[in-house]
Amino acid sequence: MRVACLLVPDLPLVAERRARPELAGRPLAIAAGPGPRAELLAVSPEAARARVSTHQSVAQARAVCAALEVRVASPALERATRDALLDAALSVAPRAELAPRGTGAWLAEARVFADATGVAALHRSETGFAAALAARARALALPAAVAVAGSRGAATLAARHLAAEIPARLRAEGGAVRVLSAAEEQAFLASLSVDLLDPDDALAEALLRFGIRRVGELTRLPRAALATRLGPSVLPLLALAHGEPDALPIAAPREGRLEEALDLEWAVDRLEPLAFVLRGLLARLLARLAARRLACGELDLVLGLAGGGRDVRRIGVAAPSLDPRGLLGLLRLSLEARPPTAPVEHAALATEGRPLRPGQLDLFRAAGLAPDALGRLLAELALLCGEGRVGTPAVADDWRPGAFLLRPFEAPPAPEAAAPAATGGPAVLALRALRPPLSAEVRSLHGRPERLRSAVANGHVLRAAGPWRTSGAWWSREERFAYDHYDVQTSDGSVVRLRHDLLHDAWEVDAIYD
Amino acid sequence: MPSTPGSSVESPLESRLQGLLHELGARLRRGGLPLEEAPRLATGLESLDALLGGGFPRGRLCEIAGPASSGRTALALALLARATRAGAEAAWVDAADAFDPPSAVAAGAALERVLWVRAPRPAAALRSAERLLESRGFPLVVLDLAPGAAPPPALPPVAWTRLSRAAAGAEGTLVLLADARLAGPAAALALELRPLRARFTGPPALLQGLDTEAALVRRRAGAPPGRAVALRLEAPPAA
Repeated sequence: MRVACLLVPDLPLVAERRARPELAGRPLAIAAGPGPRAELLAVSPEAARARVSTHQSVAQARAVCAALEVRVASPALERATRDALLDAALSVAPRAELAPRGTGAWLAEARVFADATGVAALHRSETGFAAALAARARALALPAAVAVAGSRGAATLAARHLAAEIPARLRAEGGAVRVLSAAEEQAFLASLSVDLLDPDDALAEALLRFGIRRVGELTRLPRAALATRLGPSVLPLLALAHGEPDALPIAAPREGRLEEALDLEWAVDRLEPLAFVLRGLLARLLARLAARRLACGELDLVLGLAGGGRDVRRIGVAAPSLDPRGLLGLLRLSLEARPPTAPVEHAALATEGRPLRPGQLDLFRAAGLAPDALGRLLAELALLCGEGRVGTPAVADDWRPGAFLLRPFEAPPAPEAAAPAATGGPAVLALRALRPPLSAEVRSLHGRPERLRSAVANGHVLRAAGPWRTSGAWWSREERFAYDHYDVQTSDGSVVRLRHDLLHDAWEVDAIYD
Repeated sequence: MPSTPGSSVESPLESRLQGLLHELGARLRRGGLPLEEAPRLATGLESLDALLGGGFPRGRLCEIAGPASSGRTALALALLARATRAGAEAAWVDAADAFDPPSAVAAGAALERVLWVRAPRPAAALRSAERLLESRGFPLVVLDLAPGAAPPPALPPVAWTRLSRAAAGAEGTLVLLADARLAGPAAALALELRPLRARFTGPPALLQGLDTEAALVRRRAGAPPGRAVALRLEAPPAA
């Protein structure tokens, strides 16, 4: 098996710059928390040149570099960036998986393994494949080091070595790629520092005490003797150092949900700034979808509100789309229709990636609405009429009188041939529903209506058909129903559907024949 | 030439002109190019299509007016069925919240092509209809303003001019359902329906259908209005 490892060594920094591209080229540091005493977790090369380093406090860093931009580490942003790295891998490789988070000195790195077996035929060489991976990562604003080797461990060590050798600026410009053939792998690994193996503190100290600096010095020692002296925790390190092949293949990707999130430094209480934040989230989400050749389906927007509340909303998209303007328009319409009840401190936007619907235009038929235009139209109609009042009607599989369904409208593709329409026959009598039903005064004789007074029909009942009984939900006190239905014609010419509520002994007109 | 307020005696030319105006009556039109016959959207009801000259014109505002049980809804559903079965999308803007999906299915409509807009107020219904026409995605828009129990909506006349223009721009047919005519001169075509009788069979009694009459009361192009046809509405067979 051949494995490629995409590695971003300074995840908090990269995540912040991906969310705020305007910070590029400026001294930037990521702090563990708010306040001047918070410890710095990552610093940009520009900040490092100004003698800012990790483990300083924010106050110390500002003392040596007044122009330093400090941001608080955002787990949501880092999670989205790790997922974006996986998307970059999946845009080139058939199988890819996120590596578990590193520890110790490698806590801030993000790694993704991609299956590189047999890719040389597609990309001319493994180097071409690795270069393609690096390019896709760069397109998503992720300067990654890419190494290809015979196992996950060997690829990780090579990528870590590469990331340490090549500065972030060069990775961002041209990428950093290393391919280890099977023949050179052992020799290459032997030359690396043992620190790349990520030993825990006790083991690192023991190795230092033994005078072991390089991986080769470790692999030359007998495995059993090392395990006896250093404990079983050294065995995974030895497997890594030997570049032992992996027991498990790289898992196939899950059809996943893509999410972008951002913690805001200040709570936003107006729509315009919030729309600006959402535009950035949407742009990053769409870039990830485009990398995987998917389009945006329904959008789930979660807003964290000041005071601990949450505003969760689902925005329907008429057809999968990659149009940022149209989708942002839908988000704005939703927020205008129902503004958040408190200032927003956190925003997350998620979607299920869907394949773009292929369409074939008809030469003799007018083109229908573009999906994004349809989505915008539906959102505007929902804004005018209210949520849940616009959609495709459907007949409900329910005996309850007046039951119906309203589904999201999705324009179906034009049929191959128009269905033949009947001509010449009589029209079908239709009902006009009265929602809610109108109460009626009915004088009855032997249980049958004789005279009717209501807002829609009045007078003597000339003809009456029925009753037909419907009843159901007898197990529920609130929902149970039992009606006797009649079709009646009154002396004012109206033909209506009348029902007698047997549970409450009340009469109602629930529809007009028209 | 109109006479000035100060002149009490009409000239011979004026009197002849007045005579001509009186004689021509409704057939008199403003100058300009003759109105073109618009393509038609047939209802599938032979007698009615013949009355309408092939169906409801595209790109026009048309009215179907009549009291309860006159068959307005059945007629609009027949039109909806024809449009959707032909593969077109149609919208039903429902200010009365009276659309009945089983009736639409019984009429033959392809519901998956129908967008149902349950407008809470007449003003929202008008704006929705205008927006739907502007989108150019719906060749048929039915605007149902026929009140159930509520009084008829008081809407400004300019609203109908706007809707008429929107329909012309979109080349879509806008059909307005109401108890009485609302759109006035903005409508290119108006039908008035009148219930004749309800047919019951039995015993046991069963509603078999309605007989109604549709009169063409306004038509901007083509043959002059004034004719009427009988319509027979049959109750759908029980499921």
